[in-house]
Amino acid sequence: MDRIQLAFRWALVSFFFLVAVAVNADEVNQTWGQLTESQRQVLNPLASEWDTLRPWQREKMLDIARDYPKMSPEKQGLVKKRLTNWSRMTPYERENARKRHQQFKALPDDKKRELRQKWNEYQKLPESERAKLRAESPETYGESGID
Amino acid sequence: MNMHKDNMTNTKNINLIDDDVITDPVMEEQIARGISDLLNNRAQHLKPEQEQRLSVARNAAVTYLAEQQAQYSTSNHVAGHSNVLRWFGHAGHSFEQHRVASAALLVAVMLLTFFAVQQFGSTHNLENSDAFLLASDLPPEAYADKGFDAWIESN
Repeated sequence: MDRIQLAFRWALVSFFFLVAVAVNADEVNQTWGQLTESQRQVLNPLASEWDTLRPWQREKMLDIARDYPKMSPEKQGLVKKRLTNWSRMTPYERENARKRHQQFKALPDDKKRELRQKWNEYQKLPESERAKLRAESPETYGESGID
Repeated sequence: MNMHKDNMTNTKNINLIDDDVITDPVMEEQIARGISDLLNNRAQHLKPEQEQRLSVARNAAVTYLAEQQAQYSTSNHVAGHSNVLRWFGHAGHSFEQHRVASAALLVAVMLLTFFAVQQFGSTHNLENSDAFLLASDLPPEAYADKGFDAWIESN
């Protein structure tokens, strides 16, 4: 009796877990045509390459589409503008960017302003010089924790 | 000779039993012992046909008891399976209803916890999501460009 009841409870828990996994798996396997209208609007810069993205890449992009409506119009514009470059970055670069972004957010406003200014100056350097700087810089992060 | 005499005494005592005496525990025990002695004594002098009848009756009683126990355990086993139906309101024992209610409550608490964690997690991670990184003051390339770090340090 107790064993049957316990089995019944576990079956219910397993059922909900499997439903959650199945729903998530379904979502990341959707083709471009299967996305909702609002998802397609946000992810429009990726329309041509969506079907070639891997499931974990789609999952991250769908997360962006989910959070997009919570942002101001100005920030939404920035997301759309930067989405294509973001999707073309390697998992390592993206993970590096996430960690740097966390550090950036913790900085005081004047430091943030200074960094923005520095970035603009850095952009004005010749590409050859920037490539040289990149080549000379050691890898900042290991390969762990990349998604 | 003495045993026969004791038995005669016991028989006489039992015949003299008054209903009021039985309520006395000491007397009750003595009477029980007397009956037991009588039965033991008479059992020594049973005829073979009487022994045979007793043996048959005993075997019949034991067989009947065994069958009853077997039926009881089978019906319990079946009832164990039918409890699944009871969970869906097929039977109305309050004990079973209590169990169903506790199981339902457990599932409800687990679901609520799951959704609460999801909600809290999504709110907590909102500012850390990739969407907010893309909308940050700096473009994602700035965070990922290790040459930029080196250039800042050298300047």
